[in-house]
Parts: sequence; C-alpha cells; structure tokens
Amino acid sequence: MAERHRADLLISCLHGRYPELIPTLQEEIERRGLTGEVGVVEAGCRGLCAMGPVMLIKPGGLFYTNVQPADVPELVEETLIKGRAVERLAYKEPVTHQSVCYYEDIPFYSKQVRHVMHDCGMIDPQSIEEYIAVGGYQALSKALTTMTPKEIIEEVKKSGLRGRGGAGFSTGWKWEATRQSAGDVRYAIANGDEGDPGAFMNRSLMEGDPHAIIEGMVIGAYAIGNVRNAYIYVRDEYPLAVSNLNIALEQAREYGLLGEDILGTGFDLDIKVVRGAGAFVCGESSALMQSVEGKVGEPRPKHYHATERGLWGQPTALNNVETWANIPLIINKGAEWFASFGTENSKGTKTFCLAGQIQNTGLIEVPMGITLREVIYDIGGGIPGGRELKAVQTGGPSGGCIPASLLDLPVDYDSLVEAGSMMGSGGMIVMDDRTCMVDIARYFLEFLKEESCGKCSPCREGIRAMLEILTRITEGQGKMADLETLETLAKTVQTASLCGLGKSAPNPVISTLRHFRDEYVAHIEDKKCPAGVCKALIEYYIIEDKCLGCGLCRRKCPQGAISGEKKEVHVIDPALCIKCGICRDVCKFDAVGVR
Amino acid sequence: MGVDFEPRIVAFMCNWCTYAAADTAGVSRMQQPPNVLPIRVMCSGRVSPEMVLRTFRAGADGVLVMGCHIGDCHYNSGNHRTAKRIPLLRNLLSYAGINPDRLRLAWVSSAEAPRFVEVTNEFIKTIRALGPLSQGVTE
Amino acid sequence: MATLIIDGQEVHAEEGQTVLEVARANGFEIPTLCYHPQLEPYGACRLCIVEVIRRGRSRLETSCTYPARDGLVIKTKSPPVIEARAVILGLLLSRCPNVPVIQELALEYGITEPPFPVEDPEEKCILCGLCVRTCHELVKADVLNFSQRGIERRVGPPFLEKTRQCIGCGACTIVCPTGAIEIVLEQAGIYKEKPLGPTAAIWVPSLQAVPRVPVIDTDACIRFRQNDRTEGEIADACGVCQMVCEAGAINFDQQDEVVEVDVGTVIVATGFQMWDPAQLSQYSYGKSPNIITGMEFEHLSNAGGITSGEILLADGRKPEQVAIIHCVGSRDHNAHEYCSRICCMYSLKQAHLVRDKTDAAVYEFYMDMRAFGKGYEEFYERVQEEGVVMIRGRGAEVEVLPDGKLRVKGEDANLGRLVYVDVDMVVLSTAIEAPHDANQVAALFGLSRSVDGFFAEAHPKMRPVETNTGGVFLAGAAQAPKDVPDTVAHAGAAASMALALMDQGEVTISPAVAVVDEELCSGCKTCISLCPYTAISFIEEDNVARVNEALCKGCGTCVAACPAGAIEALHFTDEQIVAQIEGVLAWV
Repeated sequence: MAERHRADLLISCLHGRYPELIPTLQEEIERRGLTGEVGVVEAGCRGLCAMGPVMLIKPGGLFYTNVQPADVPELVEETLIKGRAVERLAYKEPVTHQSVCYYEDIPFYSKQVRHVMHDCGMIDPQSIEEYIAVGGYQALSKALTTMTPKEIIEEVKKSGLRGRGGAGFSTGWKWEATRQSAGDVRYAIANGDEGDPGAFMNRSLMEGDPHAIIEGMVIGAYAIGNVRNAYIYVRDEYPLAVSNLNIALEQAREYGLLGEDILGTGFDLDIKVVRGAGAFVCGESSALMQSVEGKVGEPRPKHYHATERGLWGQPTALNNVETWANIPLIINKGAEWFASFGTENSKGTKTFCLAGQIQNTGLIEVPMGITLREVIYDIGGGIPGGRELKAVQTGGPSGGCIPASLLDLPVDYDSLVEAGSMMGSGGMIVMDDRTCMVDIARYFLEFLKEESCGKCSPCREGIRAMLEILTRITEGQGKMADLETLETLAKTVQTASLCGLGKSAPNPVISTLRHFRDEYVAHIEDKKCPAGVCKALIEYYIIEDKCLGCGLCRRKCPQGAISGEKKEVHVIDPALCIKCGICRDVCKFDAVGVR
Repeated sequence: MGVDFEPRIVAFMCNWCTYAAADTAGVSRMQQPPNVLPIRVMCSGRVSPEMVLRTFRAGADGVLVMGCHIGDCHYNSGNHRTAKRIPLLRNLLSYAGINPDRLRLAWVSSAEAPRFVEVTNEFIKTIRALGPLSQGVTE
Repeated sequence: MATLIIDGQEVHAEEGQTVLEVARANGFEIPTLCYHPQLEPYGACRLCIVEVIRRGRSRLETSCTYPARDGLVIKTKSPPVIEARAVILGLLLSRCPNVPVIQELALEYGITEPPFPVEDPEEKCILCGLCVRTCHELVKADVLNFSQRGIERRVGPPFLEKTRQCIGCGACTIVCPTGAIEIVLEQAGIYKEKPLGPTAAIWVPSLQAVPRVPVIDTDACIRFRQNDRTEGEIADACGVCQMVCEAGAINFDQQDEVVEVDVGTVIVATGFQMWDPAQLSQYSYGKSPNIITGMEFEHLSNAGGITSGEILLADGRKPEQVAIIHCVGSRDHNAHEYCSRICCMYSLKQAHLVRDKTDAAVYEFYMDMRAFGKGYEEFYERVQEEGVVMIRGRGAEVEVLPDGKLRVKGEDANLGRLVYVDVDMVVLSTAIEAPHDANQVAALFGLSRSVDGFFAEAHPKMRPVETNTGGVFLAGAAQAPKDVPDTVAHAGAAASMALALMDQGEVTISPAVAVVDEELCSGCKTCISLCPYTAISFIEEDNVARVNEALCKGCGTCVAACPAGAIEALHFTDEQIVAQIEGVLAWV
C-alpha cells in the first residue's frame, strides 16, 4: 500500500481455494469507481483458518469470514459504499451463534496474546514500507547503533527466550556459545523446515511477516560475530514463503538493511533462502545443515554441538524462524517486557496450530503457561458436536498424547515433557472420544516410518517392528506380550537412535501406552476397539429406538449395505459393510452405533 | 663357355656377421658349392673399390661383399660406408669393361646361415650365366 | 592426553581418538558392523553403543563416534548396553535372517530366531554405509549412495543402473560385512571365472622374491587408476596401504628412475617370456577358464596363491581328469621351431602335483620325452609309476564342450590312431621365447640374435657366454631356453668371465689396428670424419692424421677410404688381403 487508500481489504486464508476472489473484488471495485480509494491485499495468516477466506477491513476492523466470490457485490455495496457491516459474513460465536462483526471482539482473538504474529495478516508481507510503518527494523537500528554484541546477547539471555523449534534450548546461551567458539567464519541459520503434519506456524510467519525473521537474523548475526552469511532453510512445499522471503530479502538489500555496510555501521551480512526438498528429517539440525551443504539430508552424530562445529564445520547458530522473529520484540521492548509473559522457565508467547476435533482450527499465539483447557475451550471453541475431549497430541508426530485428565496442564516446555510429550514446534492435535489411541499411535508411526531417513538401525528397523505390532493389535491379532515387546523396542529406539527424530519416534507409543493402556488391553483381550475406529474389531449397527427411518444413511452408503423402508428402522448388512463410518457421520439422530 | 665352367667368386665377409653366418652354415652342415672363396675382413667397410678391382684382375669371375645389416654393424657405422661405395663402384664397373652384375653387395647377419647359403648360391647362378670374366674384353 | 575409565579400568587416550579406538586398543571388545578404521565413523548400526557417564549424566552413545574426552566413565557391558544391543541385533536379524555374521552376533546376545520376521529373508544389506563411504572417501568414485528413506532405503549406483563411473575396483565387496554386494563382470576372465589373477593391487611378486617386499600393481591400484582418470589432477584416492603401514614404507610419489653406473663388464640375463597360446586357436586358450598355461598352473598350485595351493577348477570343484599338452608353441612350424627344453620336465612335475594333490586322472600328450638331465629320467619313470597316462603324439586340438568339459584330440603315435580324451582341466605346456623387447637390448649392447630370437653367443661351441661385444656376457635363457641347472651353470660361467676380465685390471685389445704412414699422409682429413670411434686425430704441427691405438677397433674403414693409401690395417693390410685373394684364386 504504497499509496494512501481510504480503506484496505486484507484477505487471508485463501488456502488456494477461490483464486478468483481477489480478481473479482478488484473488478467490482473498479466497476464501482473505487479504484485508488480501496486497496486489496493478500495478507498473511490471521489464524482463523477454519473460516477462511477471511477479510479484515482497515481502518475500522470489520472482519468477515468465509468470503466467497458470490459475496463480493453485496460486500462492496454495503460495506465500501454504504459503510454498513454485512452481518451474514461476520464471525459466528460457536456456542451462542451470535454474530461478531469486529475483529477485536472475536473471542478467538481476544484470549490470545499475539506478539510474533501481531503483524501477520495486518500488513502486506511483500512491502517493506508497511513493515517499517508498523515499527519494523527499529530494533535492528537500535541494536546495531546503540548496543554491543555482548549487550544484545545479555538482553536475549535475560529475556529467557528458548528455542521455538521444540527442544527449548536457551537462545541467548546458544548465541554466546557460538560467539565463544573459535572461528573466523560463523553461520546463522533459520530453520523453516516445518514438517509436522497439520502444523503451519512457521509457514504463516514466513509468508505473513518475513521481515521480522530477517530483522531478527541480522541482529543475531551481529551479536554472534563473524557471521557474513546466513541461511533460511525453507521446504519447497512452501512456495509462497520462499517467494515472500526472497522479495523481503531483496527489499532489505535495497534499503541497506542487508548486504554490505548495513545502516552505515560497517557490518556486512547476506542472507540466502535455501530450499529443502521436504524431508521431515531435515528439520533435525544436523540433517538440515547437511542439506544446506548440498548433501543428502541425514543426521550426523552430535558429539560436537553445532555452536562448535556446524555448517561446513564452522560454529553455527541454528534457530527456528519463530525464535528469530522474537528477537526484534525483545530488543525493542526489552527483556523484562518479554519475560513478563509466560512462566518461570518458559518465557514469552508461543504459536500453536490447533487441529483435529476442534471448533476453531487455526493458528494461535498464547503466552507460555496457559492451560490446555483455555486453549481448547476458550480459544479453540471446544469440541464440535459437543463430544468429549479425549487427548491432545502435541509436539508433532514424535510428540506424545496428553489425556483429558491433564487438561489443566500448563503449556510450557517442562510440563509437556513431564507429561510424556513435548513442545515441538507447536502442533496441537485435539482428539475426541471417537479417536482410537492405538490407531493414533499406529498412524504417527506410519508417518515416521515414511520419514525416518533410514540411516541408523534402531530407528529404521525399530519403527517398522513397532508399526507391525501396532497394526497387528488394531487388527485384533495382538497378544499381551506385545505390550512388553513394544515397551522394550520403544526404549531402545529412544536411547539408541542417532538423532532426535529417532529418539522421539517412540513417543506416540510410549505416551499412549502410559495414558491409555486400557485401550490397548481392550484391543488385545476383548478384541474390541472402544472408540470404534479399528475396522477389524468393530461392527456398525442401527440403534432401533433411535432410528426414525429417514433413509439418509441408506442413500449415502457407498456399498448399498443399508436397507429399510421409509419411516421404518433400517438395518446394516454386516457382510456388505466396509466400515467406512459414513452412516455414523451423517446420521442426525445418533442412531448408528458401533460395537 | 662350357658346361664345366665353375665360376670363381671371391666373397669379402665381415668378421662379425657374415663370416659368423658362414661359419654357422658350415657347422650346420649346410650344402655349399665350393665356388665361393671367402676373404675375412674385420668390417665390410674395409673393402675398398681398389681391392674389388684388384680381385677381378686377379681372376675372380664375381665379387661378393657381405656385411652386417644396416644398424647391426659391430663398428656402428662401418657398413654405412660400404653401402655407399659398392653401388657407386657398380656404376663405374662398366667403364672398366666389367658387367656390374659381377659385383654384389649383400647383408647377412650371423643368425642368417640359411640366407648366406641362399645368397651365395644365387650369385653363383648369376655368374655361371654370365660366364667367365675374360680379361681384356669389354663385356 | 585424556584419561578415562572403561569398565573400571583407567585408560589413556590420544588427542582425537574415539571411545571405540581407545577401548579396542586396550582390549575391550565392542561389536561393530558399520565401523572401519580407515573410514569416517558413521554411527549407523548402533551396535557399538556403550554407556557414557559424563558430568554425572548417563547416556547410551555410539563409541565409534564419541570422542574420548577426559574424565569419561565408560561401561561397555552394563545391562542397558546389553539390552539395547540385543534389541538392535534382533532387529537386524529380522531384516537379514540368513546372514551368518548377523546370526553369529545375535547368538552372542542370546537371539536365535528373528523376533520380527520380514517378508524377504534373502535381504543381505544392513545399510551400514561402509560401501558408500569407501566409494566416496577412499575410491573417490562416488558411485554408490543411498536412495529412498527409512525402511525403503537402498544402496546402489544412481537410479540403480549400471554406471561408467564405477571402476570395478571391488572395494565395496571387500568392506561389506554381510556379503551383500557382488561384482558382475561383463567380460569373462578376471575375478570370478578364473581361480587365478590378481586378488589385490599390492603383492609380493613371488614367494621367493628378493628383496621380499610388496609392489603396487599400478594397473589395478585404485589410487593410480583414479589418478589416471582425472587426467593429471591428483584424485588422492584410497591410500589405505599408506594409512596402515606402520613403517611408513609406502610412497606413491616414487617414480621409475634412471640410474647411471659406470661399469667395465655387463652380463645380459634378460631371460625369456612365455609364449601366448592364444596365437594358436586350436588350443582354445581363453575360451574356457579351465584351459590354463603351465605358468598359471604354477600360480594355482603355489601354497601362497589364491587357492592356497589347492588345484581347483574355476567353479571351485576339484578336477577329475587333467590333460597336459606338451610342445604348445614349441617344435611347431606355426610357432617356434626350437625345443623349449624345460617343458617336458615341468609337465612331468605338474602331473606329479596333480596326482599328489587330487585324485584326478592325468593324461600327458607328448611328442618326445626329453628327460635329458641328471635324475630326470628317473623322475620320468616315477611319474609313470604314479599312474599318469602317457600318450605319445601331439595334442592337436582342445574343444570346449557345451557342458564345460574339455575334449582333447590327439594322435597316439604308438597305437597309430586318433585319441579323444574328455577332461576338466587342460594345462598347456607353452613355449618360452625371447622377450618381446630383445631387439632393443640387442641394439643397446651391439648384440646379435640367433634365428630363434635369443641373443647370439660369440661362438656356439667355443665361446658360449661371450658376445661379440667385448665385456658383454650372456647368462641363462637370454641366450637360449634353459632349465634351472643349465641356467645356473651358464650364469656361473658368465660371472667367471666377467670377473676374469675385471681381475686383470687392464684390457687386452686386438693388435688389428690402423696405423698412418705419416710420410704418405697428405693431411686431407678424409679419415677423421669416417672413424666411428674418433680414434683418428689431426696433428696440426705435423699436418698429419694419427691413430690412437687404444681407441681403434680395427674396422679398416679409414684404410679403404684413404686417397693417399697412407693408412694400413695391421694384420689386414692390403698386401695381405691381396695375397689371400690371389692365393685362393690360384688354388682353385
């Protein structure tokens, strides 16, 4: 928005659907003669992904959800010309179904503390002017012109910022260790290789606020010293992140905020985007650095920390993109301000991706120490259909499942580890009572089997063996001795694997065995799947006194396995039923049961 | 020129190659006609044109000069001289009234006893066909 | 120097050593599958895990990659270590149930059956990466690498297709702990098909070699081959021999060097070479790996050879019938006409060896049995008594039958009929011949060669070790085919001749030299340029040429050329020669 507009429409969460939305809008604006008055911007993520595409209108803060091309004429007419809200497009409160027209009033946002994501979706990510307009690069200027590298490191240490990639290593200490390692050449790397299924925090940040990452990296590189080249490692599945980052880097170079003699201080740094091919294991630091070096991304033994021998054998500070994006905030507002959020050992805010059986799937940012209950019920809007929460899976595929009984667990690094899971980069998958925990463990191991690099034998062979046992259990072929074998295998894979991926790979098994052992026993001893998921162990049937004979299930059944006259109780033929569960999902009267 | 004409042929042989070949031929009991009268010289290069002419004058019907193959000379380059002299002399022989075919140069190495026999036999045949060298008559 | 405690025992480590290196150096046993001392540690098999206690924290770490830091406490056999190794071995055995090395290791940890069986029990690769690292770090061919991920991970060349980058060195097959790699040769004959040929690129030329030091076969050595491929750039490949040689005796930079020595006498003992029987196609040499030459048989039966002296066919079976054909390339108008002299006796010896080491029937096709030396005839009789079948007559043809058997056709002259013998192995007693570069040696020393190509002695009867070049003597098979006793005798004679010459301290030269009659010499200098030995110099003050008698060899070229007739060759004067000419002509 280089030129001034009367109003700007910031569109987010297009998800690749409705590619015609923005052109339609622009056409309509032109048709109504509003060109030059109203700007249309594809902005970064606003977090409320479930309701995309969303539109924020500035100034004013009107917020529309589920905006579709067909809504455009009415929207332009009502809002842009007549200045009225289109209530039909407003956010609906999930419980009360009340419309909330203004961004600030939406509970999904009001409970969040959006620091890192503050500008995401609020500015045009392809415009450095907008970033500067909201205070961007102030921290850079402050750090480079008024602070010594040591002061910066001290400030970061004091802030208590811990790595947002999941391991939670103190960022300040890491920088200091890198700085103290002998080396004329040091490197800084931003890890944007977000590989967890259902996680997109890093992606949203890179797409929506690339300059924040760049600013943080320049400050960090200056503080670490002898860093002349830094890299942002992004998986190629994120083409928009790659292009927005490259645009941002080019702009920063033009503005003298990157390259030689930054801000006239004599400090040189260039940052390059390195595209990864999307291997999950490349999120592991040593594998990532191998990949940056152009080798096959597989982990190396880490008896020397990357701060001593990292990229090309030189001291390297590798941080998650979110960690880097926190740096400008700390420099601008001070360590005390930053540390005022969060718990004693986990400071600041953290972004999470809410996914699974939850009303408001999307991206959130909350202060550390918030309870799972607040996250799921207050921000996430609870479980759809009023069903029961069973567990929350955090930390990605190799994280663990936290049972509903621990709903008041504060979300911070140490509590999550204690509960048998981990912070990870911020995935949070909510599971209701229709989720089978054995099947979930099997699902995650399936993912890890695909993504294990295969270098070390415990991870490669151990995951295969565990997966086979789990599959056997879900098929009703399990034995009680399998549980012990699983535990032994899990322990060895955990202790003997080469890298973090392998060491954490058994977590889904270990945490489900710990918290949901009864479900395993039910599969093995009773040959039953309590959640009704494992097809070999279940049978769908019509609960006679609930069925009204509407015929919906009969029409939807892909196998024609359901029969029955109108307004009479229907029957499922078990011989034809393939246990797809469609009937159960479509039945409005909960008349389809599983046994 | 009768059937009983037996040519008298003087063969100059170098000590290292042809003389050894002749020796081997003898040791090997190869059949050789007695027409060839060997004169041993250390090197075929020792054979001067004058010597050849004197040989004809002394009554030889033919003269053979035999030495090592080029490159094999015991004295490195002695036979190079021979290779120049003898053809030159052959060109001049007719001025002396002698058929140039009565003079022949041949290279026979010490390993070539059979060749020695072959060359001499062939030369004998040539001279036999030419008949005796008549003194004072231009051929 | 770091001090650490392994299983309660204090040990010391050098800078840069790993825990595994220190432990093994001190006699602690740690199993490994992906470790090789000449390669970068990889940490993939995880079998070498040990318990590492550092700053009070105990963890399982792979000893092959863990640096031996000061103050570490290591436990190589604690219960967590044993348990983890057992689980890993169980997993590996499940992957590769039929690999002996895994079976044995698993058994050590009490595992007899694969605990998590897989569908393909023929899998042999455990993905240890030794081959990949060898190909990358040592061979520097980078042919092998991993493809795919996780359980699908595979080792192979790019796209698992044949690649010209592979130099076929076979290093990967050597390092592979499970025998999962095989080299497939498109051209028959080198490694597998033949029980002969090179085993490695570095060997002692023969068991009796003096000095007894190994040499590098630069045609086979990975390092030299890779340097050849990089066209001038040093590929710096392999070099394992240099890494392991504690004496530091390997020097790749060593070049052939020319050493100039001033000597008074030379003994030419350049020996012989074996004639290549492929030149006569009827013997089918090269068409079957079981048709070998006598020399190859010697390799085979040598205790230091690749079969450790066992006489085996190419497929590893023991032969049941062996034919030995004499005079292959000798006494043959299509090859060498001479008798190679040694073949009869070595063939008899080989027949004896076959009878001694195997139960095979032996057939000797011979033309004449030349058992001429001392004790030779007795040996011939002994071999006959051992049951060797003697067939008098040339072995005419060897046919390779479709089933791999070899049919030898020949004539039994005693019975007067053709014979056919089907055998498993044919040994061709090939001729020996003058080395292919004998002509160069001959030119170097001014030697003559006999018709057979061997160097000619000065006189076949009277001077068998001398040559026509003074001070140059012949020894052994350089002069003619000889067996060992004859060679020793001949060489002794050559040495004596050389010593006799040296002992005199002075050389007797022939009196047949040229002299200049200075009265007649006109000083034209024609002779000067003719002399091959620069023996004639021009004396300015007297305006005459003068011959240095010590340099003059008496060829007489100058004599023939002197226009003034001023030079005479002593003992070959014109007068003497003319007298001879007149004498012979008069006599006839």
